[in-house]
Amino acid sequence: MRKIKITLRILFLLIFATIAHYALPQHDVVRVVNTYQERQDLNDWTRMFWARPDDQSAELINRDVQFIQTVKRRTFLLGFIPREATEPMVYRNEDTGFSWPFYFKFDTANLQTEADDLRSTSETPKWAVMTHYGWRNEYISAFPNAIAIRPVDSPNVTIIPWFNIFFFICLAALLLFIRAMWRQFRERSVDPLLDAAGHRVDEVQADVAERKGRISRWLGTWRKKDNSRLPPE
Amino acid sequence: MQFVRLVVIGFVALSIVYFSVSLYSRSVRKERLEKEFDAHPPEGADEAMREAFIAEGMAEYNSSIRPKLIALVYVVPVVFFSIVTYVINAS
Repeated sequence: MRKIKITLRILFLLIFATIAHYALPQHDVVRVVNTYQERQDLNDWTRMFWARPDDQSAELINRDVQFIQTVKRRTFLLGFIPREATEPMVYRNEDTGFSWPFYFKFDTANLQTEADDLRSTSETPKWAVMTHYGWRNEYISAFPNAIAIRPVDSPNVTIIPWFNIFFFICLAALLLFIRAMWRQFRERSVDPLLDAAGHRVDEVQADVAERKGRISRWLGTWRKKDNSRLPPE
Repeated sequence: MQFVRLVVIGFVALSIVYFSVSLYSRSVRKERLEKEFDAHPPEGADEAMREAFIAEGMAEYNSSIRPKLIALVYVVPVVFFSIVTYVINAS
């Protein structure tokens, strides 16, 4: 039972961490190389790695998607430790609209313009910080979705993930609050009911015990020789 | 339509939160009143007196601003998401 509990907890944590890693914003230091637009087929299971910019896009089996090609600074540990090495990174640039994940992004065309404006060569690089969510996976052609881009002077910028700090503090506060609510609910509503039920069980058991006692006493009158009823010798 | 769906689902979810928080807040207040009475019961206190004390305290709570502040669970997310929308789309 305890092992099942631990396994379930770890599984739940893993699923939560996966969703959080996919949906929370991350920052990359990039140099924009090019932008392009390409028709994408959307009618298989990888559909979930593309956005739903509006209602009609939910039924379309293919549509044009904008992309931003960059050279990205590599990092260790979810971007916390920067490295000198670079790698190619391609972002999709799609509206998220009013659907999951809730970025409420509607400025795809503007973002594409900003990215175009920041295009540079490796000889005269212009560095920028790209905010994005999502994963790059070459095998299933998944791309992270670009959210915002801002130019920076040097690729060695310190990025503080303010939103994620805020998010996890709020989440912790929320969990503590839910725990307090649950405890209050148990203490005030569940425990009295259980106590009452426990009392009833006790009463029933006491009743049974008493009845048993009566029966065994009655049986005892048969078994035990009651000397008092015998005539005195 | 996406917007309508978000508003409807959001309203239902926030209503659940609103009612849970309301119940919790009332429960905490009631518990405090009970403990307050039990800590310093007046002379000749009986069960009716205790109930009257709690009822009076709850009436006071109901007319105070605290239960109305719980309506902020509707306001805060709307404000938050409006700010997010503005920050994401303003260049």
